[in-house]
Amino acid sequence: MSYYDIDSILTDAEKIPCTFQLDIPDLGYLDNTPNQPLKAGTKVSLPLWLAEMLVIANTGGPDNKTFVTFDLPRALGNDVVQALKADPRAVPLRDQSAHFYGLATHMMDLSEEQELGSVLRKTFVTRAAEISLHARKVGGGGVKGKGKDEGSNLGIGGAGEDFLRGLDEWERKLFRKAHDGAKAGKEWMESIKKN
Amino acid sequence: MALPLPLGLTHSEVAFLAEMELVTVVPRQRLESIDLLSGKTPPLRPPHRIDLPLWLALLLKKQRRANIVPPPWLHPASLAEIVHRETKVHPQSFSEPMPTSSRARQSQPGFAGRIGGNNNNDDEVILSPPFQSNCTSSAPAGYLPYHWLEVAEALITHASDDLGGNTSEIRGLLRDLVEVRAAKMRDSAETLGAEGQGGVVSLRGVGAMELAENRGFVLGVVDGVRKIGGAVETARREREEEMDLGGGGDGGRAVGGGYGGDGDSDDDMGI
Repeated sequence: MSYYDIDSILTDAEKIPCTFQLDIPDLGYLDNTPNQPLKAGTKVSLPLWLAEMLVIANTGGPDNKTFVTFDLPRALGNDVVQALKADPRAVPLRDQSAHFYGLATHMMDLSEEQELGSVLRKTFVTRAAEISLHARKVGGGGVKGKGKDEGSNLGIGGAGEDFLRGLDEWERKLFRKAHDGAKAGKEWMESIKKN
Repeated sequence: MALPLPLGLTHSEVAFLAEMELVTVVPRQRLESIDLLSGKTPPLRPPHRIDLPLWLALLLKKQRRANIVPPPWLHPASLAEIVHRETKVHPQSFSEPMPTSSRARQSQPGFAGRIGGNNNNDDEVILSPPFQSNCTSSAPAGYLPYHWLEVAEALITHASDDLGGNTSEIRGLLRDLVEVRAAKMRDSAETLGAEGQGGVVSLRGVGAMELAENRGFVLGVVDGVRKIGGAVETARREREEEMDLGGGGDGGRAVGGGYGGDGDSDDDMGI
């Protein structure tokens, strides 16, 4: 998580649904009502970096209310979690969010979801094993797609492609690492035969 | 991040290190001792077997000055036994690494004894894999040394005529081993997800080349699990700290208020 980490910046830009707890003057344009105050109770999607600050800070008023309250984004909603519980491999995480795990860990920092952590952990390792399998089976020619049949003896066809398309950024990095290892191994094997 | 060097050793570096392994050769010509940085090589006298580093043995082999005696673990029977053990007997764990010359005695825990006499001059202390004769003809069969894949591939490629003519069988068994162990490496990632387990994968008995191949993946998985677990862990620690503080306050009150606080502290402990 360095300052210049593009993935970290993009994760911070993910929108999460927030509800304002108090009226704010002149912010009505956020809710398509320009020149009006933003009413308390309005639901607005805010980027994570802003929402995080507003959730943590409080207004300093007598009732110590926070500026906004937030809900879990749709990517971490109940139906996604249920689907992950059923079969982690069948959910295309990238369709939910390209930075699914980054978003999820941020949200877990903010809210106290006990269950989410264990579901995510199980999801991550189950999918990791699958990623490794695909990384080994994809041929040495290109990173993806090309040379599919080469070295593949498990009949990974269209389903595999679909799975790889559904990887989020963390998983893509993992796939890269696993693939680089397998590819270097293959290259080494061929290099001995040459000399 | 400007130049992302891969973590750990690359495959070619591992293969280079593997060339330090000693192998047994049968020289065909006399060769006087050569003074090398690593020490003098023993003089070669034709029918006497002698242990040489793999790189020198391969060089002599290519010049037809020596024949290489394959290590016993590279025999098809030994490889087949290891494949059997990996698939049927212990389908979960990697097979045992080669016993070292110094190891703890099973019968007397706490005492370590030297097993060996493999080397000719017993004065030298020979312990770790590159210097321990794991690939000579005196190595035990049925175990895989640290550099098993590299040495085996080198011998198959450059000294196939010394392997007794069943190169393809050996090659097939090696492929089986590579696949079986790669599958275990994948499954080891899944055991990380089990709740309550410390998230530790035992990589005992894994070869150098397999480590080089899987290092990025395994570290990536462990790092991911750490990040996901991080939030939960912080929350848990905070809760425990609060509990500790609460307990401390309770104790102080109990001391201050005499016996009055006993009932409360019992409630806190959930009795």
